[in-house]
Amino acid sequence: MTLYADSEYPVRAEIDRAHAAQLDHLADPGTWGDAAQRLAVAREVREACYEAGVQEKHDGAGPDSDVELPEAAREMIRHLAVSPRDFNQQSYESARSGGLSDEEYVEIVGIVSRLTCMDVFARGIGVPLRPLPAARGGKASGVRPGVARKELAWVPTVPNLPEGGEEARAIFGEGYRPYILRSLSLVPDEFRQSVELEEAQYLPMKNIMIKDYQHHEGFSRSQVELIAGRVSAVNECFY
Amino acid sequence: MAALIDPSRDSGVPGGKQILAFADAAIGPDRPALDRARADLAGALGPKAVPAASAIAATFTKNDRLANGTGIPSELPMLKNSKDIRAELGINDFRTSVYSRTHYPDEM
Repeated sequence: MTLYADSEYPVRAEIDRAHAAQLDHLADPGTWGDAAQRLAVAREVREACYEAGVQEKHDGAGPDSDVELPEAAREMIRHLAVSPRDFNQQSYESARSGGLSDEEYVEIVGIVSRLTCMDVFARGIGVPLRPLPAARGGKASGVRPGVARKELAWVPTVPNLPEGGEEARAIFGEGYRPYILRSLSLVPDEFRQSVELEEAQYLPMKNIMIKDYQHHEGFSRSQVELIAGRVSAVNECFY
Repeated sequence: MAALIDPSRDSGVPGGKQILAFADAAIGPDRPALDRARADLAGALGPKAVPAASAIAATFTKNDRLANGTGIPSELPMLKNSKDIRAELGINDFRTSVYSRTHYPDEM
């Protein structure tokens, strides 16, 4: 049984597997939040999207939760989930002054981004949102790269090689990584999860400079970049 | 490129009109419009185009939130190579351009 077995359209096995693994991963404790907190973030994303009318509520969205997120977290989750175009430095600073650490903030940005991603895919192919899992026990790992520091983003990031040293090599591998990939590097697990989606849905990073590389059968690179550019224009993403 | 900002323009890409309509509908609130756009896309480019276009719209839904949520600037070489096209399309007017302008004011 595959995750998107009910789809009228043929979903590549690579995407099916990646989404199934990512949803299941939300049931585990993360780096700064435990599983119940991470799933509460996911539920907040969906509630905000239902209210904004960009997702449709349905039965079978997964178990309820009694976790109450801090107001600062709820506010940034809702803002980033439904209106990324006007999310700004003040939004970030409000979250920080509201009690979130940079590490917690980055983990939440990662969860919001990945869940909105998978939910947009489900709505795009015309199937209901996939149910969220039940939380599994355990504690957050609290792993923070010692080399992470303030560069040019609001949040600390792991520098590229050679400045990032062995920690950068362990997280990124060899080679230069642009900010869009390093944005979550303060929480390496979120970085890895985001790259996994990127490679299944967009293209393998090693092929990004091959102009006519085709990752999706019957959909050319120019068609890919057209939809990518339009989505980013609507979201007013300068990057 | 102008079609990215004004989807009524011709993109020159096969199925471009249907792709742009699908992009807007996939992240918008009008569900009937999305259902129509999905059917039109499949009609124009075949059924495999629907999960492909959904996957790309989903990826950039993620990346736009990563960029706008962490305040990352564009890399300097990217800014240097995109000066003309940014000016032509009005991309420098995006609110999130401030993250790059702060660090690289001479490239804007």
